[in-house]
Amino acid sequence: MRPELNEIHLIDQWLLQKLPEAEAQAVETRLLLDEAFAERVEAQRICHQLIHHYARRQERFRLEAIYRQLMNEAGFAHQLNTIFT
Amino acid sequence: MTTPMEDPIIQLYRDSFPDVARMIRRKGGTLEEAKDAFHDALLIYMEKEKAGRLQLHSSPKAYLLGTARICWLRAREATVALPEAFDAAEPADAGMEEREQSLRASLVSSGKKCLELLKAFYYDHCSMQDIAARFGFNGTRSATVQKYKCLEKVRKEIKTNKAYAP
Repeated sequence: MRPELNEIHLIDQWLLQKLPEAEAQAVETRLLLDEAFAERVEAQRICHQLIHHYARRQERFRLEAIYRQLMNEAGFAHQLNTIFT
Repeated sequence: MTTPMEDPIIQLYRDSFPDVARMIRRKGGTLEEAKDAFHDALLIYMEKEKAGRLQLHSSPKAYLLGTARICWLRAREATVALPEAFDAAEPADAGMEEREQSLRASLVSSGKKCLELLKAFYYDHCSMQDIAARFGFNGTRSATVQKYKCLEKVRKEIKTNKAYAP
């Protein structure tokens, strides 16, 4: 892999807490000394958050679709309507 | 009626939601509240299962009932607390939502394949072997390189986004 991708791999391993202790400490030291590196780490952390939010929204849409599908089944809808009447 | 090939999540939904709804109804909640609490609980269940961190001491239904109960109580507490905090909370929440929407656009601009690949790895916790097979890569190495290229693309987009402030 080219150096930029190797660094992305390293940051990823650190963010996912998969680095051995010595390597993690080296990343943490670099975070203090290298501002540009710290900024790349922060941007990558936001990427992880965004992926998580995106995926969770997708799953919520899926659950809403399942709800609508089941509410179209007479037996399931009747069961729920009975509970709430 | 349960079909033999039904998605396990649909099965779980069908089996568990009426019991959750009954519990929420007994506590004075609505169908909408029951659905929201159940979806929150099901998301927690699914995420823990994918991450291999799900510890069941009884059945999945019992887990969902207990979790949905907590989710519903928390949602209710938040609603009750809203009138006092409403004025202060509103502009901050709106700003945060706007920022998130703008940053989400950076993620979406990486393309459908990248999005799905990143979701498969970081959220669904799929192995690189599974990802390589699913997305048609020659092997795990190609899939790994593509994953980092996608991440690089999103990271670049984020850094040029006005909503990004490190």
